[in-house]
Amino acid sequence: MTSAEPGSASSVPDIAIGDCWRQIGVRGDRSCPELEQHLHCRNCPTYKEIARNLLNRPLPPGYRDEWARHFAQARTDEAVGNAESSAFQTVVVFRLGEEWLALPVGCFQEVAELRSIHSLPHRRNSAVLGIVNVRGELLVCISLAKLLGVDDRKTRVQDTRTKAFPRLIVVGNSDKRVAFAVDEMHGIYRFKQSDKLALPATVGKASSTMTAAMVSWRRGAVGCLDEALLLAMLDRAIA
Amino acid sequence: MLFLGFCIGGDRYVLDMEQVEEVLPYIGVRTLPGAPNGVVGLINCRGLPVPMIDLSLLALGRPSALVLSTRIVLIRYPTKDGENHLLALVAERATDMLERDPSDFAPSGMEAGTPPYLGPVASDDRGLVQWVRAEALLSDDIRKTLFRQVAMSS
Repeated sequence: MTSAEPGSASSVPDIAIGDCWRQIGVRGDRSCPELEQHLHCRNCPTYKEIARNLLNRPLPPGYRDEWARHFAQARTDEAVGNAESSAFQTVVVFRLGEEWLALPVGCFQEVAELRSIHSLPHRRNSAVLGIVNVRGELLVCISLAKLLGVDDRKTRVQDTRTKAFPRLIVVGNSDKRVAFAVDEMHGIYRFKQSDKLALPATVGKASSTMTAAMVSWRRGAVGCLDEALLLAMLDRAIA
Repeated sequence: MLFLGFCIGGDRYVLDMEQVEEVLPYIGVRTLPGAPNGVVGLINCRGLPVPMIDLSLLALGRPSALVLSTRIVLIRYPTKDGENHLLALVAERATDMLERDPSDFAPSGMEAGTPPYLGPVASDDRGLVQWVRAEALLSDDIRKTLFRQVAMSS
């Protein structure tokens, strides 16, 4: 074996690194003439070259043996990727009141800015808020919070750095589209099928029947709504 | 077209990314006594013995430097019978990928005098890069010996 390499007996030796970014770059006195062109050291080819040179250090002791052992093992299941568990699902995560919810991207038609909702007279169904104009098309606007029994009156403690913008979401298929307002959009989130969590038995209220699975997200869990059930419920709410 | 850049000596070369299966760290190798020039030995890649060629040893007669930027490039090596064998190449400074049009590469004009694996060259702001044709790295008899050895040892 060629494990005992000359020069690798000690720990990783330091190599001289030119630290121009600390002398004349953004961490230094900013006198570098290149800054005019690149604005920041991270855009500079010299900086990139220095970073690449870090890889020209000698191998640490035991490095080759350790990696040889690693690659000698057969791949674990995770890496091989058995078809079902490694299949990805993509959802859009949004917030209603205090609650973060997710919906498969497939049923999304559009995410638009919130606009004025024209109320409809003689409607006793409180879930229908009225009519909105989305690019010339009049759509029924629903209160999803009411339908799911989510309390949307509570306002979240605002983060001082980021402002949450309410959005209007259009869901459905091409011939039947419904809009509803959300308090905040996170965006698209992709997860493995195997990362789905079972629904806890303690989930109460009407939203429990709509929730297909829990997905871990941001150190917590977000309820992923069942697309077909939700569309059917929206349909019933309009009728 | 995507290429993997590496160095032999101080000069830059590229490999077609299509042929590359995986890039590994410079892992320990089991030597093959009496192996032909350039062949350093066998590596154990997930239980599969893969013959390894040191490109610096093959081209310059000195082994690749023992630094972190020296990597093992696993390529799919086509054989005459249409099968693909894995072949491991030790390449120095295999840290770059570059996107080039195949038509940027022009014949070097020295094909007759250089080893068959050296292909056409392309220029960029740092000089010339040369395309290494992995399928021509091994001569016929070396290929036979090598893959026979692997077959026997597996």
